[in-house]
Amino acid sequence: MKTNIKIKNSISALVLVMLLILPGCSDDVLDRSQLNSPDDENYWTQESNLRLYANEFYTEFFVGYNATWGVDYTPIRGFTFNDDVVSSNVQELFENSVPNTRGTSTNTVPGWLSEYSGPNLYFGWIRKSNLMLDRMDNKMTGILTPEAYNHWSSVAKFFRALDYCRLVSVFGDVQYYDKLVETSDTEELYKDRTPRNEVMDAVYNDFKTVLATMRATDGAQYLNKYVAAGFISRAMLFEGTWQKYHKGDTERAKKFLEFSAEAAEIVMNSGKYKIDGDFRSLFGSEDLSSNKECILFRHYSAGQTITHHIASYCNLTEGQTYAANLSLVKSFICNDGNVWQNSSVEKANSFSIADLVKTRDPRFEATFWDQPRSQSASLLYTVKFIDRVGPTFAEKGNYPAKYSSSTNTNDAPVIRYAEVLLNWIEAKAELATLGGAAVTQADIDKSINSIRNRTLAPEAIAKGVVKTPAMSLTALPNDPSRDADVPALIWEIRRERRMELYYEYSRLLDIKRWKKIDYMNGTTNPDLLKGIWVNIKSEIPTLLTAGRVGKLQVQKADGTVVVYNGSNEDDLVGYYLPEGVKNRDAFTDRVYMAPVGKNQIDLFKSRGFTLTQTTGWE
Amino acid sequence: MTNYSDVQPLRVLTLPFIILNKIPLCMKLTVLLLFLSIGLTHATSSYGQSTTLSLEVNNATVQDVLDKIESQSDFHFFYNNKQINTKRVVSMKKTKENVFTILNELFNGTDVSYQVMDKNIILSNIRKTEKQEVQQTGNKISGVVTDASGEPIIGANVFEKGSPMNGTITDIDGKFSIAVPVNGSLVVSYIGYETQTVAVADKKNFKVVLKEDSEVIGEVVVVGYGTQKKANLTGAVASVDLGKTLESRPVADVGRGLQGSVPGLSVVIPSGEVGSDPVMKIRGQIGSIKGSSNPLILLDNVEIPSIQMVNPDDIESISVLKDAASSSIYGAKAAFGVILITTKKGAKTESISVQYSNNFSWQKVAKDINLAGIDALEYSLLAAERVGSSMAGAFWKVDRTSFEKSKEWLSKYNGKIGSNDPMLYGRDWYVDGSYKMGVRLYDAYDYMVDEWTPSQNHNLSLNGKSGKVSYNIGLGYLGQSGMLKQAKKDDFTRYNASVKLSSEINKYITVRGGILFSDRIKQYPYATNSTTADPWLYVYRWGPLSPFGTEDGEALRSPASEIASSNTAKQEYSYTNVNVGATFTITKDWTVDADYTHANQEYIWNRPGTRFSARNAWVGAIAKTDESGNPVYVNNEGAEVASGTAGSMPAYELPYTMYTGLGSNPDHIYRRSENSKQGTFNMFTTYNLKLNDIHSFKVMAGINRVTYKLQYNWSQKTELFDINNPQFDLANGTQTAGGGTEWESQLGYFGRINYILKDKYLFEANLRYDGSSKFPKELKWRTFPSFSAGWIVSNESFMEGLNPTLSTLKLRGSWGTIGDQTVSNTLYVPTMTSMNTTWLNGDTRYQAYKTPNAVDANITWQDIENLNIGADFRFLNDKLGVTYDWYERSTKNMIVPGLEVPYTFGGDEPEGNYGELRTRGWEVAVDFNHRFKNGLGINLMATLSDATSVITGYPEAAAKTVTNASAYYKGLQIGDIYGYRTDRLYQKDDFEYDSNGSLIPITVDGYSVYKLKGENPSYQGFLQNSSNFKFGPGDVKFTDLNGDGKINNGSAVVGDSGDMEVIGNSTPRYQYGLRLGVDYKGIDFSVFFQGVGKRDIWGDGFLAIAGYNSSDGAMPQTFAGDFWKEDRTEAFYPRAYNNAGSAKSNNMQVQSRYMLDMSYFRVKNITVGYSLPKDIIKKAYLSNARIYMSVENFFTFDNLRDLPIDPESVSGYSMFNSSNYNSGRTGVGSPLFKSLSVGAQLTF
Repeated sequence: MKTNIKIKNSISALVLVMLLILPGCSDDVLDRSQLNSPDDENYWTQESNLRLYANEFYTEFFVGYNATWGVDYTPIRGFTFNDDVVSSNVQELFENSVPNTRGTSTNTVPGWLSEYSGPNLYFGWIRKSNLMLDRMDNKMTGILTPEAYNHWSSVAKFFRALDYCRLVSVFGDVQYYDKLVETSDTEELYKDRTPRNEVMDAVYNDFKTVLATMRATDGAQYLNKYVAAGFISRAMLFEGTWQKYHKGDTERAKKFLEFSAEAAEIVMNSGKYKIDGDFRSLFGSEDLSSNKECILFRHYSAGQTITHHIASYCNLTEGQTYAANLSLVKSFICNDGNVWQNSSVEKANSFSIADLVKTRDPRFEATFWDQPRSQSASLLYTVKFIDRVGPTFAEKGNYPAKYSSSTNTNDAPVIRYAEVLLNWIEAKAELATLGGAAVTQADIDKSINSIRNRTLAPEAIAKGVVKTPAMSLTALPNDPSRDADVPALIWEIRRERRMELYYEYSRLLDIKRWKKIDYMNGTTNPDLLKGIWVNIKSEIPTLLTAGRVGKLQVQKADGTVVVYNGSNEDDLVGYYLPEGVKNRDAFTDRVYMAPVGKNQIDLFKSRGFTLTQTTGWE
Repeated sequence: MTNYSDVQPLRVLTLPFIILNKIPLCMKLTVLLLFLSIGLTHATSSYGQSTTLSLEVNNATVQDVLDKIESQSDFHFFYNNKQINTKRVVSMKKTKENVFTILNELFNGTDVSYQVMDKNIILSNIRKTEKQEVQQTGNKISGVVTDASGEPIIGANVFEKGSPMNGTITDIDGKFSIAVPVNGSLVVSYIGYETQTVAVADKKNFKVVLKEDSEVIGEVVVVGYGTQKKANLTGAVASVDLGKTLESRPVADVGRGLQGSVPGLSVVIPSGEVGSDPVMKIRGQIGSIKGSSNPLILLDNVEIPSIQMVNPDDIESISVLKDAASSSIYGAKAAFGVILITTKKGAKTESISVQYSNNFSWQKVAKDINLAGIDALEYSLLAAERVGSSMAGAFWKVDRTSFEKSKEWLSKYNGKIGSNDPMLYGRDWYVDGSYKMGVRLYDAYDYMVDEWTPSQNHNLSLNGKSGKVSYNIGLGYLGQSGMLKQAKKDDFTRYNASVKLSSEINKYITVRGGILFSDRIKQYPYATNSTTADPWLYVYRWGPLSPFGTEDGEALRSPASEIASSNTAKQEYSYTNVNVGATFTITKDWTVDADYTHANQEYIWNRPGTRFSARNAWVGAIAKTDESGNPVYVNNEGAEVASGTAGSMPAYELPYTMYTGLGSNPDHIYRRSENSKQGTFNMFTTYNLKLNDIHSFKVMAGINRVTYKLQYNWSQKTELFDINNPQFDLANGTQTAGGGTEWESQLGYFGRINYILKDKYLFEANLRYDGSSKFPKELKWRTFPSFSAGWIVSNESFMEGLNPTLSTLKLRGSWGTIGDQTVSNTLYVPTMTSMNTTWLNGDTRYQAYKTPNAVDANITWQDIENLNIGADFRFLNDKLGVTYDWYERSTKNMIVPGLEVPYTFGGDEPEGNYGELRTRGWEVAVDFNHRFKNGLGINLMATLSDATSVITGYPEAAAKTVTNASAYYKGLQIGDIYGYRTDRLYQKDDFEYDSNGSLIPITVDGYSVYKLKGENPSYQGFLQNSSNFKFGPGDVKFTDLNGDGKINNGSAVVGDSGDMEVIGNSTPRYQYGLRLGVDYKGIDFSVFFQGVGKRDIWGDGFLAIAGYNSSDGAMPQTFAGDFWKEDRTEAFYPRAYNNAGSAKSNNMQVQSRYMLDMSYFRVKNITVGYSLPKDIIKKAYLSNARIYMSVENFFTFDNLRDLPIDPESVSGYSMFNSSNYNSGRTGVGSPLFKSLSVGAQLTF
């Protein structure tokens, strides 16, 4: 009996315990939503969130000197595939077979294609823009003022259009989307490549909207109308000249060239920008915020550990495996405004560095070290992207952090006024050939001559560097090496561009839009494979080592090659030939455009659709 | 009767001396440590001596006095109030007297005697007991208690059955005497032995032999929420023989100890980093692509974050639940099996036992790190010359001239200049133009790796039962050294403490409580915050010219100098687990268990950085001058000479600089702190029902609720004021901080029914209804059933004839499903990830939000379906056992990327339940135990298992890419490696030559190649991945598998893979273990082998790929001594070429010849032990003492051609970065070590 009571007691105790516990086991315990991240459903609540969303575009489209060891879209380390530079051994090849994979779906590794100076096939940035536009329309009704709505939709459209320009420059025809596509929109996703002209017309319209509605100022280091206009002048010049030289389509060429000029004029007429400071300071300064030539720059800070390594590769110690070649050197104008063949400057026909520094346009001195350096494949060492102090540490062997490793902090110009001026004058000159108004001396003065009148650095003046006189339409240089199919004025504008923008983004894209890819062939353009003129024994005797016997070589003016044999150092005077230098394998015109990957074509085929291969790569 | 208060101090005083006299010298260190444990024993047992009491009573009862004593102290009185008159009135006054004085006076002149046992005082009536003895029995008996080997057992409990008060314990010779009625029985018990009951009858002298308890434990296996007789198991459950598996081994944790011991449990130790977790998987390497595929590790039914926090000494049992039928009761987290650990509870019988064990070990790298010296220079130089360059090297160059000098240096100074000799200009290096030319050869091993670093391990535990309270207290210490020679600190320490208490409140309720604490501390030199390029990477990167040591008394910049000047980083995991619970015994057959466990883990990672200063070996040299600025001249011996002396040259030196930029890595102090809290509530009820002897039921039902929350934050400040004392307040630079929080929960209801019919037919059914916070509302809940059945064939009458040859035969089968929710909980939400961009406005960094991923709104659980068929055989009277299991595990609804979308979508396809994975495997375990009549015992254990996984479902049209190891598609066998078949190396006469004797370049299929001899040769232009590489003599010739006359990969997809085919698989196959043990007269010997039968990988990095980056220079001698040269055309490796950091190009395309064969056979452990004879140790009051010597990982046999790569290593895996450690390069990390150890195990 007693036992039974105890059992009953313990059962009731147990029931009590369970009653206490079970409510705690209700379903509510499973409601545990994300704590750290907003989601697409609840994000679109205020204008500042659009700004945060758009911030992701910046470092992708405004690369500057990239960050840490990143080389994509950078001088010295990224833009190394063009006719300005040479390397030892065999020159880097053009793409020579259709890759299995060409593209990506994740935004962690978009990658870039160095041999095209453009992006891999990646639509993530297009999707980002389209999603932004979609959410503004569908989730932010009543939240944005009309002004804010117009601005932010122009931001989204700007990046969408700019990315299409990049994709078109690499692939030509490319699927165009102006609205968000879902995975279920099979017909849209699997449509074949949209014709270039259709894409570029859409880009044109977007850019027009951008210039009409984007804010003129939106805070420091943010995209605004002038930054956009700078990029638009660049992109529209590309398309205009492409239409002219590749398609022979005068009407379309005019349409884009006119827009290029128009965009440039928005910048030029704003009164906010001017050619400012000396050339080297543009690239080596720690802070460009007060430089009037920079329409947009990228800032670096050691404190924020946002640093780059581009200056390190200009510090005289790091090797420059791709270095300026004789072809680039010869394109520099002499400081009497004439080409070297008929310049009256003393020693204008000398290609030794010491003479070049004194006889060429000041940008030569600002761009290159004034003595041959064995760290450069061509002995001509580029110092454009470091200040004038950095290289002085070379002999001390002891660089401060900002000149070594990936801890550089000099700011990078992202888009600068000089380029806008050059875009403008080129567009004007091209338009003139298409029935537009002729270029006037005033146009030249406003553009090229204002650049030539840039301040000289005191160090340059001390070396005897003088400004190149203004270009005169009536006395254009008579360049014996000018291509027959290029008018003299356009030839000189291109020269100016080459001197000004060396190792910045443009050279490969320029020769592509001019349809001059043959400049990349060392057979027809032998200067491509040579360095400067050098007297090894007197200028750089450290090269005379036993290890270099049979490898160190120079080429005499008459074309004969002298190879070091251990005792002929006196004879080693001539154009320096990089060790083992060889022309690249032959290529055809198909290299203007990149192929798409085999797998992607197969994917389309497996779903019953067609993805057309790029012309020449079928 | 013995008064314990007299014995205890005596024991304490004599024991050390006994040991010192009797025990060999080598044990002295151990003895020192023994003092500690004995002191502890003393402290508790002499409580009566040290405690003083004050009391004053007038006309109080004895009961009052006893109550007062109890209230003032921890003493507890036990007495029978029929025997003791507690109503007697006394008066007394005592000030600060010990308990003995008080009791003496209290009972002076009465028949009461007392006995102090620790804090328990037993009062008894002398006269009555004596009288009783005479009255009840007049039967005094005596006897001896021994173990199976005949050794006496000291301190065994002997009492009369039914009268626990009438009892005694055996003396030092195992003898006892007691008075027991003739019709009574004796109960003899001792911890660790099976309790025995002996009828007295008319015998006077007894010999009681106690059987070791392990055999008893072996018969009962811990399963989910309960135990099961091994004979009645129907699921795939393996229980671990703890004694043989873990004891006497210098292993840091249970996981490492289990390697090779449980068939189907794969344990991999990818690096020698001390304090790192082993990688454990149950049944196959992959359970799902998205999930973790990791087993659930449970400690007393509560998930623990790492197996390392468990002190192996605290463990009572380990079961590995392998199939769904046995693991599904644990629900969704148990989808890939369970490692179920139970800890020691208190003793079951009245006893007290103190155990102490230790281990001292010394470690050395397990595999020689044989990096090439002069031969590496030759390789680098030939590779450079091949493409027309004259020199090679990054910071230190080699050219023909310097190479000759290096050879001279070697013949002149080898063995004469040691690693401590400073670097001298002129002798060891020189400057040529702007280049530093290296001459002297350095071996990084000398500077980086310490040999025979010590480790030690101590465990002390107290286990017992007193009255209704049983307890277990465990203390553990592990101190392990790493092998970084220059480090200020490189070690791992673990402290464990645990207390388990259980008290039987009454017949119906037993309450329990426990605390488990584990503190793990890893200390290592903090040289960088990079996990993709730490000092180990540089050891294996820069060649033999890269200097170590000093120049002019100042350290040279090297991985060693950086480690030497690094401050010590510390990772500390502090884990506390508090458990309260109760068992309600409602009837004998019906119990309810409820437990709540709160676990809290603090993780603190402190990373104090520094700035490095050294002679900078990475920059240009500077001219050396004397104090007055004049150039210094040296000769080619490095001695200073006057300028103009013959052979003199101007000297250079390396600049001494602080080469770490202010504020740049690692000039900072960083601290991360993380806290996780986990609440686990388990309640279940078990009901046993036996209907006559035919039907036996066991029904169990319960609830399991887990809540988890983690929060972390970190901060960092750069620019230290004092690099020797990195502190947040002593830094000047940028402050950065971050943090986050996550939470999740699971709730499950479960039930199980076991039904046994006639002891022959076994059935089990499980059901779990599980909810997880990781899924959207409508998908939270799922039901997972599982069933199993067994047939004990040997219990059938028709099998009797085979006994004892086939003594047991059981057939088993099971089927079940479990849901897996180990996937990330962001899969179904279009999350917007925030990011810190690198776009600046002044010093303000712009934040950004990324594009939301496309998500599949219908995503749901992955279902793991299991089928298991097994058989258990036991032969020769159960001496030999064989267990076999075959299983198939299907991951249905596997979460994988959905139907592939084209790039035009602009993002990854949303993930959904579109995949299916099937793993099939089998496991065999064999055990054999036999003791010969002469006392020689032998035991054997062998395991072998295999598993392969195939993707059986995947969205169609996914690119079946063969060149991408992470591409998945239907039909893929996980781990398959596609590659080319290597034919041989090209030789000179394979090619045609022009009149100058030069190779002839021709263009084939658009590739410029050298012309081959013969009709329609196969050209390999497609495989020329560098502009300056063309296949020539000494390069690899591949097999034209599809006979199309050219070597390529087709479209690089399955079905059109050109000349690529499956050439290997990276899954470890045929994992095995084999243990052999013998013991004879106290000496035991065991040897344990373990290995993997098959595993291939295509390696990455300097150690795995010949010519990976020959300009950087470091390479194994295996490559450098055996590559094709004009005078070595039979070489294994191809002609020198610098692949510039690519692991899959030119000669080193993924191919059969250079695949790494990662199979191995390892002599994992050899142990020799000696159990000291009882008659010696009994004088020290020890019941058991064993000393042993053990070697771990000592011999490894592999097929890696002496490459310094451990066959267990996983490229890119370490505790710091599990996917891209040291940029994914193979074998480039802290090397695995072997160890030599000695230890002792003592039981009091």
